Amino acid sequence: MRPLPTSKLDPRIKMVWRLNDALWITILALCLVLPLWLISLDADEPLLSTAAIVAAVIAVALYVLCLVVLPPIRYQRWRYQLTEDYLEIALGIVWRKRFIIPFIRVQNTDTRQGPIMRAFGLSSVTVATAAGNHEIPGLDVEQAEQVRDRAAELARLAREDV
Amino acid sequence: MEQPERYRVHHAFIWLGGLRALFVTLWVIVVGAFSGLAALVAEITENPAFARDAGFVFALIVGGIIAVVLVIAALCFLLRWLQWRHLWYQFDPAEFSIYSGVISKKRTHVPYGRVQSVDQKATLIQRVLGLCAVSIDTAGGANNKAIVVPYVTKSQAEALRQQLYVQKAQLAAGAVAPVAAADGAVASGEAAPGAAAAPVMVDAAPVPMAAHPAAPGEGNILDAASDLTAQMSGVFDSPSFAQEAPSYEYGLSNKQLVLTGLFNNTSFVIVAVGLLAVVGQLIQGVADLVPNSDVLFESAVESVVAREGALMAGGILLGVFLVIALVMWALSAVGTMLSFGGFKARRRGDRVEVERGILQHSFQGVAIDRVQSVIISQTLVCRLMGYCEISLGKIDAMGDGSNESNKGKGGVQAGRVVVHPFVKKSQCAEIIAGLIPEFADMPTQATAVAPVAMRRAILRRTLWQGPGFWLIVATALLHVLMHVAAVATQDPDLFDLLTIFDPAATFLYAVGAVCMIANCIGAVMWARESSFAVNRRFMQVSNGGLSRESVSFPRQKIQFGCVRTNPFQRMAKTATLKAVIAAGVGGTTISLVDVTEEDAAHWMEWLEPRR
Repeated sequence: MRPLPTSKLDPRIKMVWRLNDALWITILALCLVLPLWLISLDADEPLLSTAAIVAAVIAVALYVLCLVVLPPIRYQRWRYQLTEDYLEIALGIVWRKRFIIPFIRVQNTDTRQGPIMRAFGLSSVTVATAAGNHEIPGLDVEQAEQVRDRAAELARLAREDV
Repeated sequence: MEQPERYRVHHAFIWLGGLRALFVTLWVIVVGAFSGLAALVAEITENPAFARDAGFVFALIVGGIIAVVLVIAALCFLLRWLQWRHLWYQFDPAEFSIYSGVISKKRTHVPYGRVQSVDQKATLIQRVLGLCAVSIDTAGGANNKAIVVPYVTKSQAEALRQQLYVQKAQLAAGAVAPVAAADGAVASGEAAPGAAAAPVMVDAAPVPMAAHPAAPGEGNILDAASDLTAQMSGVFDSPSFAQEAPSYEYGLSNKQLVLTGLFNNTSFVIVAVGLLAVVGQLIQGVADLVPNSDVLFESAVESVVAREGALMAGGILLGVFLVIALVMWALSAVGTMLSFGGFKARRRGDRVEVERGILQHSFQGVAIDRVQSVIISQTLVCRLMGYCEISLGKIDAMGDGSNESNKGKGGVQAGRVVVHPFVKKSQCAEIIAGLIPEFADMPTQATAVAPVAMRRAILRRTLWQGPGFWLIVATALLHVLMHVAAVATQDPDLFDLLTIFDPAATFLYAVGAVCMIANCIGAVMWARESSFAVNRRFMQVSNGGLSRESVSFPRQKIQFGCVRTNPFQRMAKTATLKAVIAAGVGGTTISLVDVTEEDAAHWMEWLEPRR
């Protein structure tokens, strides 16, 4: 089988993923557990309190999965490589995917930064083709700019056709 | 700086569009005020004296309504007129611009190089008037809409299309595109029919058959009607302009047209299901005639009588269903035949043009370098007869929702131009060589899927992705639940229900089993026939099964490629190939499941750009 691409993301991305997932899980858990728990306090219904407990357990399990287990594996599996002519990406834990995106097909590239990413000094690069986008999350701001410029330049050098 | 000439759309934009807007508004108002009206009518019918007493008031109300309608109509037409005043297009040196909007101005510019295809569509009314709408597709990705120039005369549309291609060609040739004055002398919307100054005219009627040696036994019954409507230039149209002669052209023969109508639509599936149901009913009837030995004699007689009745009712119901299905089939066949009536596909210069439709006429033109893929597909029926459908994949803009391009009606599918709806498999190569010789150099050395793919496909298609299997599982669950509930509650009503439910469940089991068998056969056939092939310039992916589709596309058009594996595939050492091209709205993925890992690796190497 083809060797994996060489470049890895910035290690700080793990923290970004953790924060992001924690945020979503917390919001979901609050929406589910809190109302159930409050109603069960009032109504004294055993079914409701068990439901609340089950929801809480699921939330904790999700926390463990998304904050402890997944980020290192995900980080390990997320690889990319910029060559002269194409961008190669390998990702996925269960469903592993490998993309080859020739730069001649790239329509535009841009960098994006969410609030969490900004706090860590990270940035993501998006490469758009006529049939879909690809994102490399979590690069050093400097590096992201470089990657974007390089992709844009290589894309510009290539012949115009769709 | 000289301002390029501004072209306006036809004045039918005002009154035809205004009428439509008026009807829509009135409809909304009627629906909105329905409850009030209904209450009023109820009041009058209940209390006739009320109407007499309030006669004057009533008349006033009616008068008021008429006045309101008139005001709305006036507003509609005024608005449309204003819109029309502010709607024009022009050919700038580097781009086609269309200006619209009364209050908030909108300008859309399309660089000539970005024009993907220029299509033309006309409804029945528009056809009678000799008008059509032109839509210009650009490769704008998923959320980009086609640019529509509404209500232009057919000759104006032709000139517009011509001009776009001329400009594009000039741009491609590197010339400083001057607006070709001679070509640009487009008859303006108001041109009188049969303007004497018109250049050399060529009738829209087909060129003599002798010119097209590749056209076997062309011509069909509907062609005459189509020619008639094509010649009848409509109320407002002026004669068309000379065009480059097509290098290859064909239509449909009578047989092809009828077969297309009969089998190339979804209604056939309904008939097939109806037939299946009848067969199931017959089998069940036979099974029911054999009495169960362990049932008491009296109850057996009773139940046989009851079942006889149920069987009769079921039979009648099925008969009705079958008749309805047949009628629907016939109707949709006629519909499909009409929509493919006057079908003409031709190669003209560097573009492919497809024209069809008796009532709603559509004209699609795609530049050859914008063709993303060639798709040869066969449904089961087509396969048995040895026929197939050829279509071209192209980039599509998002439809306007109400646009008919997004409906799957009459074989119209987003991102596809059908260039032949029903052709003998052996003639495929000939047609492709004539219409798009650029795609004739197809790879021949096919790499089949991995041997293990057969087992995996059978499991996947019959079990966890097979509708038949899940139908059986769901029915069984429900069946068991019903029986348990009936035994547990001892409710006589439930037992009565079971006498109906049991045969129904048997029927569902039968359907599920048939489905599973079909899926299993499909899976075996898929594994035997599926392959991919590459050569220097092209890739071809064939996915077999009961129906079959083979897609060919140039390497250049692959936007990106992807190899995907799941844990089971990694155990079996296989992988899924996905090639993504830009055809359709937001791209089309062509995938092939379960090729061997080595082949996948080779494919990825092939995918890397070469210097």
